[in-house]
Amino acid sequence: MKELFFELSQSWQLEPLEMTGAIALWLVVVSAIVLSFVATFAGVTSWVERRVAGRMMSRIGPNRVGPQGFLQWMADGLKCFLKEDVIPNEVDKPLFRFAPYLVFTGTFAAFAALPFGYGIVAADLNIGIFYVTAITALVVIGILMAGWSSNNKWSLLGGVRSAAQIVSYEIPSGLAILSVVVLAGTLNLQAIIAGQGGFPWDWYIFNNPFTLMAFFIFFASILAEGNRTPFDLPEAESELVAGYLTEYSGMRFVFFFFGEWANLWVMSALITTLFLGGWQIPGVADLAGVVAGVQGAAKTLWILLSVVVFFAKTLVLVFVVIWIRWTLPRLRVDQLMVMCWKYFVPFGFLCMMGSALFVLIAQSPLGETVHLVVRLALTGLGGLVLLLFVRRTILNVRELQDPFYFKVLE
Amino acid sequence: MSSTVFDYFTNIRNAFTSIFHGLAVTFSYLFRKPTTIQYPDRIDTPVQQMLPPLFRGILEVDVGLCIGCNLCEKTCPLGCLRTAVVRDPETNQRYITRFDVDISKCMVCGLCSENCPTGAVRHSTEFEASTANMVNLVIRYVKPGERIPVHKPVKGEESPGLPQNEPIARAHKEWDEPPPVDPDQVRGRVRWKNDGAPEEEQSS
Amino acid sequence: MTQLILEDQHGETTMVNMGPQHPSTHGVINLRLLLQGEVIAKIDPIVGFLHRSIEKLGEMTPYPGFLPYTDRVDYLSAMFGNQVYCMAVEELLGVEVPRRAEYLRVIACELNRIISHLIAVGTMAMDLGAFTPFLHAIRERETVNDFMERICGARINYSYMRIGGVPRDLEPGLDKDILKFLDRFEKFIPEFNRLITGNEIFVRRLIDLAVIPAADAISCGLSGPNLRSSGVDYDLRRDRPYSAYPEFEFRVVTGEGYRGQTGDCYARYWVRIDEMLESAKIVRQALLGLPEGDVKAKVPRKITPPKGEVYSAVESSRGEMGCYLVSDGGEQPLRVRFRTGSFTAMTVLPKIVPGLMVADLTAFFGSLDVVAPEIDR
Repeated sequence: MKELFFELSQSWQLEPLEMTGAIALWLVVVSAIVLSFVATFAGVTSWVERRVAGRMMSRIGPNRVGPQGFLQWMADGLKCFLKEDVIPNEVDKPLFRFAPYLVFTGTFAAFAALPFGYGIVAADLNIGIFYVTAITALVVIGILMAGWSSNNKWSLLGGVRSAAQIVSYEIPSGLAILSVVVLAGTLNLQAIIAGQGGFPWDWYIFNNPFTLMAFFIFFASILAEGNRTPFDLPEAESELVAGYLTEYSGMRFVFFFFGEWANLWVMSALITTLFLGGWQIPGVADLAGVVAGVQGAAKTLWILLSVVVFFAKTLVLVFVVIWIRWTLPRLRVDQLMVMCWKYFVPFGFLCMMGSALFVLIAQSPLGETVHLVVRLALTGLGGLVLLLFVRRTILNVRELQDPFYFKVLE
Repeated sequence: MSSTVFDYFTNIRNAFTSIFHGLAVTFSYLFRKPTTIQYPDRIDTPVQQMLPPLFRGILEVDVGLCIGCNLCEKTCPLGCLRTAVVRDPETNQRYITRFDVDISKCMVCGLCSENCPTGAVRHSTEFEASTANMVNLVIRYVKPGERIPVHKPVKGEESPGLPQNEPIARAHKEWDEPPPVDPDQVRGRVRWKNDGAPEEEQSS
Repeated sequence: MTQLILEDQHGETTMVNMGPQHPSTHGVINLRLLLQGEVIAKIDPIVGFLHRSIEKLGEMTPYPGFLPYTDRVDYLSAMFGNQVYCMAVEELLGVEVPRRAEYLRVIACELNRIISHLIAVGTMAMDLGAFTPFLHAIRERETVNDFMERICGARINYSYMRIGGVPRDLEPGLDKDILKFLDRFEKFIPEFNRLITGNEIFVRRLIDLAVIPAADAISCGLSGPNLRSSGVDYDLRRDRPYSAYPEFEFRVVTGEGYRGQTGDCYARYWVRIDEMLESAKIVRQALLGLPEGDVKAKVPRKITPPKGEVYSAVESSRGEMGCYLVSDGGEQPLRVRFRTGSFTAMTVLPKIVPGLMVADLTAFFGSLDVVAPEIDR
């Protein structure tokens, strides 16, 4: 994005002062693009989630507003914006008003450094992954603020739970990230993707057994940081009514959910970037070289293809996150902490040390061959699990003698 | 100690296998037909026709079959039926002048329809009775001022009103013109006031 | 019982009202909690929000007319309310119920037990945050509800039984449909187990949680699945036989501590899962061995039992449901009293809950399978 801007600005031949203005304008334009993308994504995902959840529960889900209920999210959003802005009498009003925006900002700011494709990134930071982990931690302040200012005991419990949870899970997720960073040797998200390849055995997830482990740790930790089931304790509706959301309604309520669904993209994009090869197109070894070698429409096409690959991977992960939410029950607070400190943190350390060790092994004379064998074996394992899964799914349908039914839309 | 270490790794294994199976079950439901019936508009046949014939819906009265025995009014635990029979002193013919059912009170228990000797009172498969005004839920099967002679069953001949396992016609929907209702409290239970029809034969 | 928690001497505790409007109180119940952090120091269950004076209504209504009200005692297992009331009046009258009617009653009751337990296990999963199992359970329940509709004409408030038998015979072809469903149901339970029962998070949430020792369970008057999961082998169907139950073979499921201890929440959950399969077995036996004959004994239209009193009890899906009737020889009973399993289950709360967490309370409360209208009646 920055390169594109500088290319353009050179052709305009601006004065230094005009240049400053142009940069400011450019920033506004980029953030508007990202914001509209986030808004659309959050809305559409809310519809997708409800439809997927419906089918998993043997229901249909919303299908009345617009074609196949696709405009349900707009109807819901509009309804919430038109609602009365209820602020209870006893709440801490400034904090109560401010908290939703803080939550949303925390999630939205992460989009600044997230890649969407080859070269498509709002700000290509050299400490990208560090920035994302740091800025998403802002969410916890907003949630804690909402919990405290609501002056409701359930809200406070939810807020405190959330603070404990998010802060704890920063550690295993950080360790899992480090085990990838050790392999890539950089914190830049584009460079991390560039270090991987197009095929599954080139991805960091199957790079060595330790990164495979780190993948699961990272996945679970980031679910916990995003307050998704099975870690949705702060808003556990069967225990805490609605947790920190209890007193919110209307527009402010929507802002929390806006943040939550936007966060769905953040976590999926991060996992894609770190473990699943990002925008790497299968069969293209050096996308940077290819893109540099062509001009005009061909260049745009290659970049577009990388965007498509990245989106496909991320959307599959979004589906997986939704799918997990509608399958698993919720953990208890102490179990959550046990899982973090007794399982994830030690294994996280193991992953970091292990992948560092593997970097050394790969550099040894026989290392190249060993590494290739390990990568292929792990990919084969992944494929085997997938096959077993498909078999299990078919058996599940057959066992109850339900006919197969492939219609996606109802 | 060894058992603790063993437990530690068993927990991890159990977590993976059980989550695998759970995900397989939910995923398999994407390939099955949803069981939802999109009531009321996106169905092939109206729900009323899909219901079993025994279904206890809104009470339906065929006044032409009523023999004026007043059993339904006596058995109803809530007093939601109200009948009145008058006798013409000249011809000795008995007439039904009132047969009202208050659906808002009825808890569709089926006691009245079982006790009806001719099957004049029976349940329809109609159940959509929502209305903006409670008064609309009083169904008047005999219009005010109308006099319907009581049914005289012929001995040995099966009464036409006893179809137990056949679908029956829908209840008369007369939500639009609500009759005025004047409830009266009798012994703690709401009973309808005797509106003093001439030459009342039965009173409860 | 209703000593309110108001004192807070050290300022370290918080008083929280859980209910009457709370998603996991299963109806309108108020639990006053004294919390220290997330740990419950004291609990005070306050009941009575759903009191509908059913017992008083019984004293004002003639004997046959009270029957529809017995549905409303426990709306999730209305058939047992019907049965216990009919049994009480029949005993007062000295009426012999035809054998075919007894079989039909058993079929209806056991199908109702399946319905009720499906709700119990489904809501328990939902209390722990898993929504899908609840909907899957509800879907199977809808199928049984359709059968109920064909048996007695209603889906929830059945009003099926009559004093002296049942009002009508089975619809032709219905027995085959029920048998077909039972085949499916026995495969559905393993799938349900794969989805939620065996789930490690679910198991960890429930095992060794809120253990009710057998002695406590007996002294608090627990009955039904809650009592059996504490290891007490007591089932009215077998130990105080009524209706046609002595003619069927079934196993009384007792809690054995499947993954944790006997009497924990997981045992209570598992007993219900197993009981559904046992009920399916009973329904199958009853349908295959259905005797011929009348479905209703001759009873006078106006029922006036002789003077006397009677207590009848059935094994409802929430424990012993008893009906105590006193007759003065008139058309209406002098006194009606219902004994229900949910009410006694509430008495165990102050004993077990202190020391648990808020999240555990919802799990424990769900595992007791309390229905609010049954507590208050």
